[in-house]
Amino acid sequence: MENKFPGSSEDVPAGDGVPEMELTDEDILDAMRHIPGFLDISTEDFRVLYHLAHRHAVGRLFEGTRADRLMRTVQEPLHPQMTLAGAARIIALCGYKGLPVVDAKTSVIGMLTETDFLRRLQADTFLDLMLRMLDDTFEFTHRCHETPVSAAMISPAVTVSGDAGFWEIMRAFHRHAGRSMPVVAGDGHLLGMIFRKDFLAAHHLEDLW
Amino acid sequence: MVSTWLREYLRKMRGSTRGSPPRVSNQEILWSWFGAFLGIAAVAWVSQLFFEGIDLTLMISSFGSSAVLLYGAVRSPLAQPRNLIGGHVLSALVGVTCWKLLHQQLWLAEALAVAVSIAVMHATRTLHPPGGATALVAVIGSNDIHKLGYLFVLIPATLGPLILLLVALLVNNLSKTRRYPEIWF
Repeated sequence: MENKFPGSSEDVPAGDGVPEMELTDEDILDAMRHIPGFLDISTEDFRVLYHLAHRHAVGRLFEGTRADRLMRTVQEPLHPQMTLAGAARIIALCGYKGLPVVDAKTSVIGMLTETDFLRRLQADTFLDLMLRMLDDTFEFTHRCHETPVSAAMISPAVTVSGDAGFWEIMRAFHRHAGRSMPVVAGDGHLLGMIFRKDFLAAHHLEDLW
Repeated sequence: MVSTWLREYLRKMRGSTRGSPPRVSNQEILWSWFGAFLGIAAVAWVSQLFFEGIDLTLMISSFGSSAVLLYGAVRSPLAQPRNLIGGHVLSALVGVTCWKLLHQQLWLAEALAVAVSIAVMHATRTLHPPGGATALVAVIGSNDIHKLGYLFVLIPATLGPLILLLVALLVNNLSKTRRYPEIWF
């Protein structure tokens, strides 16, 4: 491997696409001044070493990450024609805060979460919702039983493919505020759900900073 | 194609960096001086018992360059015990062998002694630049050195580095900012 990188960090491909700060000679020389004694290394060699070590570390930390290894299975996804009342029961039963919505071919067409319920029921928070229920139970019941999932869900949902790696999952979580998202096959078929807390727990990211 | 290769070839000669290592502190310079003085004094004193004249000078010059590494670049991988002892011993073996096999062609024995020493040190992870000098001394030394045969590997090529190592262990660990060795083997 070292034969590919004869002498310059310019020769070393970035590869992983992970942001990496370019160290100047001044940065490295300043660091060397903090270590007493003569250091038998040039700044360029240090840069190449740093670059390769960084790439190795990134690989060690994130290489094994795949969405389908971290995902949880979804026993019963939602369907667009279900009422919000029926969907709420299924979501409550599975213990999650939301579920993917799939069509007849189990392809993901949207996502319905507790936040979507609140928005559809015109409440900002759960306390707000409770007060509204106390004031007008009939209106609330009517909305829950008459509104289909398709009218409340977020569509299209932000999804990741089963083979998505660390950075793809990270970018997907940045694209929406949800705590979870569906994992899909190449044809959009639902495979499971990946949770932000599982993703964070799997990587011990706190060790990086 | 050829012009691209040539351009790249010449570009390498410009060097790749402006950042040579910074000057060390005065305290470091003093410790390097002190270690080298004691190390070479000890080796020179012991060497006097076995060699004289040009042979003594030749071997001391090889150990002098070891002293630069051992006391002046303490952290360097080239200065670690494995490299110090391994480099001198293996190079001495190579040098004596080259003399024995090729002393009729002195220039060839000299060139091979150094070249093979470097290759052997590389292959055994014992690269120690003064090893090249030790291999050369085994070839260009006087008759007294040649008469030693493979005993040259023990005295001075093992004894000298052992003395330097002992002094390095004692002196380099006196300073708060120094530590020796980084790795033994």
